[in-house]
Amino acid sequence: MSAPLLNVHDLRVIFAPAAPGQPPARVVDGVSFALDAGDSLAIVGETGSGKTTLARALLGLHPAGSVSGSVQLGGQELVGLDEGRWRPLRWQRIALAVQNAGTAFDPVYRMGEQIGEPLREHRGLSSAEATARAAALVAQVGLTERHLRAYPHQLSGGEKQRLMLAMALSCDPELLIVDEPTSGQDMLARAQVIALLRAICAQRGTALLLISHDLAAVSQLAGQVAVLYAGKLAEVGATRDVLSAPRHPYTWGLLSAYPDMSTARDLSGIRGQMPDPTHPPTGCRFHPRCTQAVDECRRVEPPLQLHNGRRLACHLGGLRALLRAEGLRKTFTTNGHLGPAQNVEAVRNVSLEVYEGEVVGLVGETGSGKSTLGRLLVGLLDPESGSIVFEGNPLALNNGSASRHLRRRIQLIPQDPFDSVSPYLTVCQIVREPLDVQRAGTPAERRERVREALAAVGLPTLDAFLARHPHELSGGQLQRVVIARALVLEPKLIVADEPVSMLDASEQAKLITLLEDIQNERGMGLLLISHDLALVRKVADRILVMRDGQIIEGGPSSQVLAQPQHEYTRALLRAAPSFDWYTTSSGGNRP
Amino acid sequence: MIREALRLPVAPAAAAHPPRRVRALLGSEGVAGLLLLLILAALAVFAPLLAPYDPDAFSGRPLERPGAAHRLGTNDVGQDILSELIYGARISLTVAAGAAAGTVALAVLVGGAAGYAGGWLDLVLMRLVDMILALPRLPLLILVNALLGAGLGTMILTIALLSWPPAARIIRAQVQSVRQRGYVRMARGFGGGPLYLFARHILPQIAPLIVFGLVTAAGHAVALEAGLAFLGLGDPTAKSWGLMMRHALNLPGLLLTDRWLWWLLPPGVCVTLLVLALALIGIGLESRLDTRLKQR
Amino acid sequence: MKRRALGFLISLWAVLTLNFLLPRLLPGDPLAALLDPSSSAYVFNSATRASLAEYYGLDRPLVQQYADYLAGTLRGDLGQSIRLNRPVGELLRAHLPWTLLLTLTALSAASLLGVLGGAEAAWRRGSATDKALVVSSVIASNAPVFFTGMILLIVFGARLDWLPLAGGRTAFARYGTPWEAARDYAAHLALPAVTLTLALVGSKFLLVRNSMIGVLGEDYMLVARAKGLSTGRLKRHHALRNALIPFVHHLAAHAGFALTGALFIETLFNYPGMGRLVFESVVARDYPVIQGVFVVVSALVLGANLLADWLSYRLDPRRREAL
Repeated sequence: MSAPLLNVHDLRVIFAPAAPGQPPARVVDGVSFALDAGDSLAIVGETGSGKTTLARALLGLHPAGSVSGSVQLGGQELVGLDEGRWRPLRWQRIALAVQNAGTAFDPVYRMGEQIGEPLREHRGLSSAEATARAAALVAQVGLTERHLRAYPHQLSGGEKQRLMLAMALSCDPELLIVDEPTSGQDMLARAQVIALLRAICAQRGTALLLISHDLAAVSQLAGQVAVLYAGKLAEVGATRDVLSAPRHPYTWGLLSAYPDMSTARDLSGIRGQMPDPTHPPTGCRFHPRCTQAVDECRRVEPPLQLHNGRRLACHLGGLRALLRAEGLRKTFTTNGHLGPAQNVEAVRNVSLEVYEGEVVGLVGETGSGKSTLGRLLVGLLDPESGSIVFEGNPLALNNGSASRHLRRRIQLIPQDPFDSVSPYLTVCQIVREPLDVQRAGTPAERRERVREALAAVGLPTLDAFLARHPHELSGGQLQRVVIARALVLEPKLIVADEPVSMLDASEQAKLITLLEDIQNERGMGLLLISHDLALVRKVADRILVMRDGQIIEGGPSSQVLAQPQHEYTRALLRAAPSFDWYTTSSGGNRP
Repeated sequence: MIREALRLPVAPAAAAHPPRRVRALLGSEGVAGLLLLLILAALAVFAPLLAPYDPDAFSGRPLERPGAAHRLGTNDVGQDILSELIYGARISLTVAAGAAAGTVALAVLVGGAAGYAGGWLDLVLMRLVDMILALPRLPLLILVNALLGAGLGTMILTIALLSWPPAARIIRAQVQSVRQRGYVRMARGFGGGPLYLFARHILPQIAPLIVFGLVTAAGHAVALEAGLAFLGLGDPTAKSWGLMMRHALNLPGLLLTDRWLWWLLPPGVCVTLLVLALALIGIGLESRLDTRLKQR
Repeated sequence: MKRRALGFLISLWAVLTLNFLLPRLLPGDPLAALLDPSSSAYVFNSATRASLAEYYGLDRPLVQQYADYLAGTLRGDLGQSIRLNRPVGELLRAHLPWTLLLTLTALSAASLLGVLGGAEAAWRRGSATDKALVVSSVIASNAPVFFTGMILLIVFGARLDWLPLAGGRTAFARYGTPWEAARDYAAHLALPAVTLTLALVGSKFLLVRNSMIGVLGEDYMLVARAKGLSTGRLKRHHALRNALIPFVHHLAAHAGFALTGALFIETLFNYPGMGRLVFESVVARDYPVIQGVFVVVSALVLGANLLADWLSYRLDPRRREAL
């Protein structure tokens, strides 16, 4: 195998502090990747992750001394070259289409002059030759000679974006770096730029380094993707693999914050803020925002290494399965009052996983076994066979004392709040009960945690309210009390069994939003059991469909909803509530 | 009121330390300029205490060299040059203060009225501003002062009359933007009249511009006064630094001896220092004001 | 551009009208005093008095005076000098070339130095050279011209005796070759021109430096660097070209400042330009000459404004359409 076209190893861009005494800004901090000739790689990340700084470092545009590490282009080391050695490399071998094409052109020269400039400077072409070449380039990006004669201020943003590409291609570079080609453009211009870039790379065999936060554009343009967070790579792999099955918690968060046409659930941003490059966090840079961070993450920086076939920088090998159940089986025996005793297989050989911070919807008709499965998972029922592993620890199938400690980290929100609280206890006693059972903290601390939990679900924390009894509360209030009770032990996983089915539509919407907020804020896993697909699709990242005690279909929400594989799922989808207008016997839809 | 007028945008932390507050207002250039200005102002205020002689008295023989009695010697009629120099600060600073006050008063009046009233008044006043800005200032000053005959008051008045337009333009822009803000509209809704609104809401907003305008106008006025006096258009009874230089230069053969060292050089240095001090304060203020000053 | 030309004409008209009205309307009747035997300003020479009475025509109605004045001025008749008893137009024609020579020399030198220095300083901003240049520019642009001129005059003219002290050429000199003539003129021009250049260069330097720093931060400069252009091309073809737009725009104001600065410097160096003429006319209350200088200098300043507008319009394609 020959050496890659571009080999970046341990690249760092560290800017000197603005004022003496302040720490330097470590904007790119040890990034390594390689790009073969003719291949394409996308670098993705939020604003401020260091993407643009990285791109400029590859052209030697940063002040001398701020870049260290190694950048090899076709075997030639670029880091440390002086300005005179950089010059022939720029544009002839590496060209850059900058992010904001609107301000990227010198306002006092015509477009043709600017596009032809590198040809005249590098290739020694005459003015006429350069103009002819520029005309050909401009035609290639779908524009005309009129655009060559125009000044920058006379053209639209989309036109300038394309002329930027034409200019970048003028010296036929081996590597084209394109910084945010789609940002700030309307959808049609965006589609045109993407089509253009695909055509260019296919025709010329130019290697493409795409810098973008537009994941849809990335999926269409890049074979490989590298996820950059706070100056470090978090995850690297084939675009299809990374974007369809993200493994790093950051990649996962980035995807759930990204809207596309197939997104089903409501968007949720990644909690917290990108760290300041002058004060990067210790250990893993993502740990303050990560839902699964453990002590090691705070202390030790994770290297980028292979975990199950994917390059990840995560001590935990990426997004962890919070809960992994395998081969669960539960049979009920009817007691034969009405006939011979019968075995009903409520759960038949079910396996499922819930990842950190993930919302999984479990849907099915009444009697499909989904509630039974929920009870098995939280330990209210014991399975006949199978295993449940929670946070890497197997849960004993019989409710042993060792697993009690783990059990508190999985909480159930039952369907009927009235059924699940004692009418003789006060609100305070109800919410405090798990703490009392687990003997957590002093009475004063317990009371404080009760108040916090109540506040989290939007209930009053006044003494008068704490002293109320269940019959004095509305259904919605009581369900919130039950949710507060589930939260008070700070669980990592909540199994919610039809949590809103007893409530009216408005109260349902409020509670679902609340659950979603709490889940996102605390980074919990949530298994939402419901027969209501319309509701589940609003919150779930993944949907499992259950029938007759088995999971018959599962996958990302968008996929299950858009392309249901199983006839039963299609039936469920058809049955989900939607407004179908009543029409008269003549049939047909409303005009 | 003065505290109010000087309330420029300052970092809250700086308010605790008075010296630091001044520094935050003016920057190090500005502080240097302010110190220089204070020294020259002290010369003017304490002139009777500092000057060894009455500057108009014939206290020595003509054209004495510097000595124990006359530190900077005497002029061609036997007046003490050091005393002339010290009293000269009064003239320069009077013209600076008077012309600056007049300039800024006119600028606030015209710019405030145009910005506040808008409409046809704004249009007329701004055309006037354009007209005056297009006129060459120094030739016009020479002509008017020559026709009117020399006099300190005339000079101050004519400098002010020809210098206000740039400041008026800036103030108008600021008044226009302040007028649109919510709290001003609210106050008008409560029934506040134009004068109340101007004093309570608009003045504090244009105060930094007024301070900046005063400083720059004063600097220009000092240079203009010295120049006009030098051309012989100054008040012959008000012996300013510019007039001292004119007298010195009128002496035939002045430059052939080293007499210029104590007669010509000191007033020139004084004028330069005063202009520089005001310019430094202006630079310090400007770099700390918002971009609105850059509209000029 | 048409609007600019119209503005120029309106301003010129305003200057001419002011020149007419000011002497007549200002308190103290300065013109009447010239003809009043009881006044200290009384002109004793009867021929001169007659030509003054004819020129100002104070006994005619104001409107008539105004019409005569405008017609006369447009023909180039600016009256008669009281002191020298010669037509003002003739005096101005004799003095104007000297002033223009001085002003244009200094303006070109200051522009060249300011642009090159400002561009270099911006390119190396923060360096010791940059800081030293900024500080000296602030001082140079604030020192009154007649003061800097004095120092130069004394040091290089009187003390070192390198250059002539006064005048525009050696009196009664007969030049053998044009080269000798040029040397003599240049030697006399050197000190006044250096003085004026010093007064002008600071503000030009600061302006170019600031606008250049602004341009260097623009995206198109980053792209130009990424294109692998040579440093010289980056600096001159892209950065300086853009930084020149505000510079040219301010050139008009600088031209006015340069002309008026020249008036002082000529007085100081006894240079035979219009400054000297004003200086002597002020003493003698030679109003027609002062008025004539006012009109000519004003017209020159207004013309410079127009020229600078046209130049900056040529330089900036964005303005070409706006106008």
